Amino acid sequence: MPDDNLRFLILSTAMFFAVIAGFIIYFVVLYRNRQLKNRQEQEQLQSNFKQEVLKAQIEMQEQTLNHVSREIHDNITQVLSFVKLNLAMMAKTEEPEKKTGIDETRELVAQAITDLRDLSKSLSFEQIKQIGLLKTIEIETKRINKTAVIKTILNTDGDIYPLGHQRELVLFRIFQEALNNSLKHSGAKHFKISLQYYRELFNLTLEDDGVGFSKELFGKGDGSGLRNIENRAALIGAIATIDSAPDKGCIINISLNPLEQQLYIDEDHSNRIG
Amino acid sequence: MANSYCLLLLIVSGIGIFRYKLLTTPFKVLAWSVIAICLLAFLSRFFSVMYHNNAPILQIQVITEYVFYSITYYYLFKNKIIKKAVIASIILVSVFFLINTLFFQPFAHKFPTNVYFLTQALYAILSLLLFKEMLMYPLKVNIIKQSVFWFNTAILFYATTMFFNLGLSNYLAEHTHYDVIITFFWYLIIYLFHILISIALLTDNKKFTSPYA
Repeated sequence: MPDDNLRFLILSTAMFFAVIAGFIIYFVVLYRNRQLKNRQEQEQLQSNFKQEVLKAQIEMQEQTLNHVSREIHDNITQVLSFVKLNLAMMAKTEEPEKKTGIDETRELVAQAITDLRDLSKSLSFEQIKQIGLLKTIEIETKRINKTAVIKTILNTDGDIYPLGHQRELVLFRIFQEALNNSLKHSGAKHFKISLQYYRELFNLTLEDDGVGFSKELFGKGDGSGLRNIENRAALIGAIATIDSAPDKGCIINISLNPLEQQLYIDEDHSNRIG
Repeated sequence: MANSYCLLLLIVSGIGIFRYKLLTTPFKVLAWSVIAICLLAFLSRFFSVMYHNNAPILQIQVITEYVFYSITYYYLFKNKIIKKAVIASIILVSVFFLINTLFFQPFAHKFPTNVYFLTQALYAILSLLLFKEMLMYPLKVNIIKQSVFWFNTAILFYATTMFFNLGLSNYLAEHTHYDVIITFFWYLIIYLFHILISIALLTDNKKFTSPYA
């Protein structure tokens, strides 16, 4: 009999402690899950906030660029056209020396007008909307090739399809940023642009043969243009990979799924796919 | 057993005194409670030896413990209604304690089991409420490093095991003569409780406040 009581005592005590320990373990697991859930929610909120700020920044930048583009087109080029007209009037002079000088000046003004019109178009959002990404890049590469500062090579692969105004604009701005970096910092002789249109994957590869840079530089202040590329890519749901090393040039790859809808693509600038 | 219990209380009190400046308000109250319980334990030993009756000390201990732990809970809770309820419970338990000592379990002769049962039930409720509140406002820091978790676990453990122990005591008193086991079990609970309290006192630090997760 006493043995039975002892057995009962041990069993009930063990069970009791097991229940208490089980409750505490359950609570710890529940608490950790809650911590994780809250952390995920916070990260999501921060990410949304960051994306909203980025979106606002880019929209503001686009507005400014559009404004500058309109000013160049409507004001500066008009004034220059008027100057060109005046010069044409003055060129009717009988003095051959003066006539030659005026004709040369007219040609320079005409060149300036053409360049400014091209620049105006490249700054404006309208061109992308009207002719699409590929044609806009083509025009831009021709313009750059004319300057003979750098030789640009454009390649395309696959059946070309539209990506949506917003995405095409962002991709074009990325292209401009990369090109600008190459012109300003790399001392490259060649700049290769490759657009690959596959069914579920679009790739934009921008490659130069310049001095390149080390990975450490990317994290510092000088890398703000590159960070800008990454941020812009993230905004349209694309993945940006930047690969460079000293004396090895730089390769920027932007890849995205064209069938995937993104937050940034709203009613006004809807994705034309699907 | 009793000597080692007094030694354990001295160690826990020492931890409380040593880390007093680093403790947050609720844990300062807890440190004082440990010191008070330590003094009462020594007095209890003295009364047992001198007068063979430590009932008055145990009477004081039950109400002292409740007041200190309730004030600790008062500081730990965020919910204002629960805070008011904790204050109200201190008043109600004190009144009940007085009535009990005057009419049911005399101060000088009996252990206040009626008050004891009531306070143990309230401890269990308070600890469960605090666990619930902890889940509502989780902190970023690992739960194992949170003093509140250890204190609350200690109280839940203490409240429930004491109930269990008293239940077993009645059963065993009727069926066997395992006094040694019951005493051993009682000390085991008290030891574990004070070890958990000392972990709470060791993990608490007012200099490191964690943001919400």
